Amino acid sequence: MNVDDPAVLDVLRRSMVARIATLSRNGRPSINPLYFVAPHGHIWLGTSEWTLAARNAKADPRVSVLFQVERDASDHRVLRIRGRASVRTDQQAQRSYGFRAVRKYLLTPGGIRNHLTHIRQFPLRLHYGAQSAEKGQSCVIEVTPVEAEWLEL
Amino acid sequence: MKQVTRDIDPASARDLLERVPRACICFASEQGPQAQPIVLVWQDGRYLAGLSLDADRQPSSGQEVVLLIDEGIYYFDLRAIYIRGQVKQASAPRDAPSSRTWFEVVPLKTVAWDYGMFREVRDER
Repeated sequence: MNVDDPAVLDVLRRSMVARIATLSRNGRPSINPLYFVAPHGHIWLGTSEWTLAARNAKADPRVSVLFQVERDASDHRVLRIRGRASVRTDQQAQRSYGFRAVRKYLLTPGGIRNHLTHIRQFPLRLHYGAQSAEKGQSCVIEVTPVEAEWLEL
Repeated sequence: MKQVTRDIDPASARDLLERVPRACICFASEQGPQAQPIVLVWQDGRYLAGLSLDADRQPSSGQEVVLLIDEGIYYFDLRAIYIRGQVKQASAPRDAPSSRTWFEVVPLKTVAWDYGMFREVRDER
């Protein structure tokens, strides 16, 4: 199926968490849930360079990513996109990802409510982010789709 | 020196195994990593994964897999159990659809996290 198919684009627009499957240099599998945005025919997943997902994507660019519409319990389809990944640390990609991610995950009624409910956790969240930055810079895993298919749950 | 962690005792996330909001497995193939949504049944402490009969590829017995059960869409609601293990063929669990291929994931390592449960722990580096 073409990744430009309107149904594919609709799921990418409504899905919130992508699960990206990767292989290590030694061929060991991993799968991790990550936030994502989908600009200009690519999929950008936000993470940090030290994570298994980023290290694996550098070692083997072949990836397989699952998407579903979490907020629609009646929709049992899962979209799987296979593609090739590159790990971007340039400022342009990070700024563009950050801007889109804030709009998608934070500046919404659900996102604001979630953060206000956990406002006491903010100092710990900031500390956690600083720890992560000490281990390695943030990055964007850019996936160029090759093939899209529907799977049934 | 204190560190902040999101990691939790997997036993405290057992509700994810009972409700199974989202579950999938990943394994290696010659074509690259295979990600497959599954039906997970946690029964008598066993992790039973049901793959669609239409699945284009399935793990072979003894193969290493990662089983991920996760939920949440907003930051502080994100929780998951991540199990690395090996698969072996299994029969369909009680009351489960037989129209699937069933595998048991035998865990080798299990971790869990909950972004709503940040806390300080002693730095053991």
